[in-house]
Amino acid sequence: MSIIWGLFFTPEDFVQGNSYRIIYLHVPASFLSQTLYLAMAISSVTYLIWRVKLAAYLIIAIAPIGAMTTFIALISGSIWGIPTWGTWWQWDARITSTLILFIMYLGLISLHNSFSNHEKADKLLSWLVIVGAANIPIIKKSVDWWSTLHQSASITLTDKPSIDPVMLYPLIGSIIGFFGLMICLVLLSSKYQILHREKNKSWVRDYV
Amino acid sequence: MFNFAFNSLYEALYMNGHGLYVWSVVILVFISLLGFFIGYTVKIKKIKDKLNEPN
Repeated sequence: MSIIWGLFFTPEDFVQGNSYRIIYLHVPASFLSQTLYLAMAISSVTYLIWRVKLAAYLIIAIAPIGAMTTFIALISGSIWGIPTWGTWWQWDARITSTLILFIMYLGLISLHNSFSNHEKADKLLSWLVIVGAANIPIIKKSVDWWSTLHQSASITLTDKPSIDPVMLYPLIGSIIGFFGLMICLVLLSSKYQILHREKNKSWVRDYV
Repeated sequence: MFNFAFNSLYEALYMNGHGLYVWSVVILVFISLLGFFIGYTVKIKKIKDKLNEPN
């Protein structure tokens, strides 16, 4: 609903014209790409400290969804860059660190799939996710630390939003909507992981 | 706040020349989400069917 609100019921931007409407898909996707990685990092810590099996399943359940949101963020940003910056790609700090996040997601999925011993894979994956979490603050702060083509954040926790409320409300709505959709996807993916990993257990056969 | 920003459907699709960029992103997101939803639903169904097979 919020995406429709943003696409059809918000006024045209004075500088960027109608291309700014990509914001209603690009911002939620990039916000979630980082949030999902943080969720993976929290699951990793939970798994390594308390050995909760479900946390390990959650890591590999989130990874493909995180890769998808990062892919959407990168592609939508590139498409937005053509009319706005005159180029689809620039090796600036924000874009490059997001590309690194995407490669990390793909690497973690490939690594997990390459192991036949699931327990070993879970342990290694958890450590790698924790190490890789260092990239999240780099992505977040890249626009402040370096001079980048990418604009700085329009919404922050500390300052007043630099975006007009008419455009801001549907943006917040689309972030919340995307968040809900991703929770549904993570639940589906987790269900698959549990069924796949526990398929030899009697409780799974009873459940099915 | 809820005024339609365009005068016609054509204008809404064309978006002063930016429609191609905006709609390609919308399609990309729609296909990605739908693909993942269908993909996981099929995977879950397959594994359930396999588990239900008589040994």
